[in-house]
Amino acid sequence: MAIVTVSRGSYSRGKEVAEKVAARLDYTCVGREVILDASDRFNIPEVKLVRAIHDAPSILDRFSHGKQTYIAYMQCALARRARQDDMVYHGLAGHLLLKGVPHVLKVRIVRPLSERVADEMKRKGVGEREARSLILRDDEERRKWTQTLYGKDPWDASMYDLILRIHKLTVADAVDFICKAVGLEQFRATPEARRRIGDLSLACDVKAALVDQYFDVSVTSEFGNVLVFTKAGDRMAHKLEEKVKVLASEMEGIHNVEVHAGVPAPEDAV
Amino acid sequence: MEPLTTEMMLVMGMICVAVFLFVVEWVRVDVVAILMMVSLPLLRLVTPKEAFIGLSSNAVVSIIAVIIIGAGLDKTGIINKLVAPILKIAGTSPSRIVIAISLTVALISSFMQNIGAAALFLPAVQRVSKSLRIPVGRLLMPIGFSAILGGTVTLVGSSPLILLNDLLAPFKLEPFGLFDVTPVGLALVGSGIACFILFGRFILPRGRGDAREEDLSASPESSTLDEVGELYELSTPEDFTDYREPVSIRDLQRRYLVNVVAITEPPDYKVVNPSPDLQVFSGIDLVVCGREKDARRMAENEGMTVKDGLESFKGELAEHASGTVEAVVAPRSSMAGKTLKQLDLQDRYRVTPLAIYRQGETYRSEIGDLALRVGDALAMHGTWKRLQTLQGEGSLLFTTPVDVELMRPEKAIFAGFWLALALVMIMGFKIQLSVCLMTGALGMVITKVLSIDEAYQSVDWRTIFLLAGLIPLGIATEKTGTAAWIAHAVLGAIGTVKPVVLLAVVGVLSTVFTLVISNVGATVLLVPLVVNMALAAHTDPRMAALVVGLATSNSFILPTHQVNALYMGPGRYRSVDFMKAGLLVSVVFLIVMIGTLSMFYGV
Repeated sequence: MAIVTVSRGSYSRGKEVAEKVAARLDYTCVGREVILDASDRFNIPEVKLVRAIHDAPSILDRFSHGKQTYIAYMQCALARRARQDDMVYHGLAGHLLLKGVPHVLKVRIVRPLSERVADEMKRKGVGEREARSLILRDDEERRKWTQTLYGKDPWDASMYDLILRIHKLTVADAVDFICKAVGLEQFRATPEARRRIGDLSLACDVKAALVDQYFDVSVTSEFGNVLVFTKAGDRMAHKLEEKVKVLASEMEGIHNVEVHAGVPAPEDAV
Repeated sequence: MEPLTTEMMLVMGMICVAVFLFVVEWVRVDVVAILMMVSLPLLRLVTPKEAFIGLSSNAVVSIIAVIIIGAGLDKTGIINKLVAPILKIAGTSPSRIVIAISLTVALISSFMQNIGAAALFLPAVQRVSKSLRIPVGRLLMPIGFSAILGGTVTLVGSSPLILLNDLLAPFKLEPFGLFDVTPVGLALVGSGIACFILFGRFILPRGRGDAREEDLSASPESSTLDEVGELYELSTPEDFTDYREPVSIRDLQRRYLVNVVAITEPPDYKVVNPSPDLQVFSGIDLVVCGREKDARRMAENEGMTVKDGLESFKGELAEHASGTVEAVVAPRSSMAGKTLKQLDLQDRYRVTPLAIYRQGETYRSEIGDLALRVGDALAMHGTWKRLQTLQGEGSLLFTTPVDVELMRPEKAIFAGFWLALALVMIMGFKIQLSVCLMTGALGMVITKVLSIDEAYQSVDWRTIFLLAGLIPLGIATEKTGTAAWIAHAVLGAIGTVKPVVLLAVVGVLSTVFTLVISNVGATVLLVPLVVNMALAAHTDPRMAALVVGLATSNSFILPTHQVNALYMGPGRYRSVDFMKAGLLVSVVFLIVMIGTLSMFYGV
């Protein structure tokens, strides 16, 4: 029926909420699996992928573009899973990675800092000061990550459909709310919605196949008409064109593919 | 030597300003020329009459007449019809293709503006390259160079040569005849082509062919227009709009890469080249232009029925009313650098852009966002009337004639007659060039080869003002004695030399000048100078001037010439490619020019 993405900070009990929602709706719950998929498919050690999706890009990443590559792989793996609908994803940045898909319910789970600190103290056996600074550092890292890669603040409420604060609301309450929202007409997987996720997945596949050589490409797909955008100059673009043509003959579902060099990529490009 | 006067210094200052502006291109070259036209009389370096004398000069009137005659020939479609037979003659060997097309282009550009000839063959050459797997870079440069060299075959072939007689007038030297330069010009064209045939493999960039398996079936004579597909008429089902979001023409384009060129709006208004925002309703007919597989895919997915042929729109889309054409973005075109969305051809001209053809790739999808570049070919559909309005605007060089009703093939005989008459007058009766050519142009208007309005529209005012505006600078250089002063200074520095050496130096000087400032600018500045030098060195001043007129076409080392600028993108050339091939051709040019001049005119 729908896809639910749960965005959360550490110790916000988001994972618990996600798992319970999945159990109640009989959806698949996906978290680390996406990383494993990507690691398998593209032969990248899991730890590198985790780091890519958690740590903010360093100065070095600006030159090596490793982060963009790994994120493209993860997005590709996530979009593939999302094609099957009925999924709750509680990994990082689901709301950003599955952009443009109409039947995604974007949830953010927050929890008061004092409770999160208390949990951290209990789990790690550290003092309050240290626990607080660990959590704040983690939050800051995630904020920087989305800021540098997507130019958005994860605490920007306008990105989500539903923000639930686990304090007065219990985990069970949150699960109730989410399940109710999932049942709404807007989150039904219409043929149009399925087409959109199919196109997103196709665009992600194309990008994943190109990104290790052409890190700056952005890809869109609409009804199987794939457009590859690049800032590269003519010569580079020509090489890219040849590679894309080969790709198009190998991949299924591509009706037409073109490389548009020097054209700013649209908002919905991956 | 005379002392340097304030006026001379002012003239030199103005020359420096002009050269500087030519190089940095803060304003367009024709604007620089107008600046000269205005500032020279303000500085009292020329009289107001002299400032504008350029506009009535022999050269400017000749160029106007040549452009009108060229437009007249164009109207008859003779030149466009050359493309297919020439390609047939060219066959499949790269050398033959280069020779056949180069000679044709050189011939055309000896009587017309060479950029037009160059653009005419551009899409054809790209297709030949694709279907025969010859890298396009190996074909375009020889052809482009031939177009430039063709300008040296007659006195009306290029602006510098047309200017020459006017610049010689103050010196009371005998003017040149139309075909006085022909032996030299032919030798230059021949040597240019020979350079590429003999040394092509060393001087041309080594690229790979653009061909892929599926293209082998495409014949070289087929056109880009085949790639944009055919017209298909479809009708939407009665339940087309039920339970769904409204579908617009733009949606169909994005989803199926087909362009709606005609549609009925309920109850039964027929709209040709509709706006992309128009909604598609149930139970209506529409005509799309696209590939068959795309049209069928759309029909299947949207439940439309494909008709066997055009039915409802048989009249509106018949061949005499509308059609699909291809046009190339010209250098200095106001369209270059803009996207189709910004240009809004759909709204302003009511034509439907179908595809962009660039460097061997066809772009169909979301072409509204692509910034057009010089040398891009644009396929469009529209009624002939609207396409002609677009053509009149002058930013695009049409390679398919915007034709049928507006083309006048039956007038070919008149066009040919008036051209021949003008030539006979020039050769047989020693009447001034501008008068003869204007007679030919007038004849074409009177015999309705083209209307007088079409004649006015065809004139490229940029060229006119560039020529007319720089002529006063030449006058000022001469009148104030600046030219004589510099000539004496240079001769004083190099001492006495043989005439041949002097001409060679003049040739090299002109070549350098034409690369940096425009060919017209170089001619205007150098002719008074070299005539003075030649007089002082007791060499034939007419030959020195002719060397300038010819060598200012020696513009190969940098892609500054319009034709080179046009071919640079499509040929995927870099500046270094031009330097490599251009250096050889330039050196050969100078040697052949001096050699033939001394052979025919006994320098």
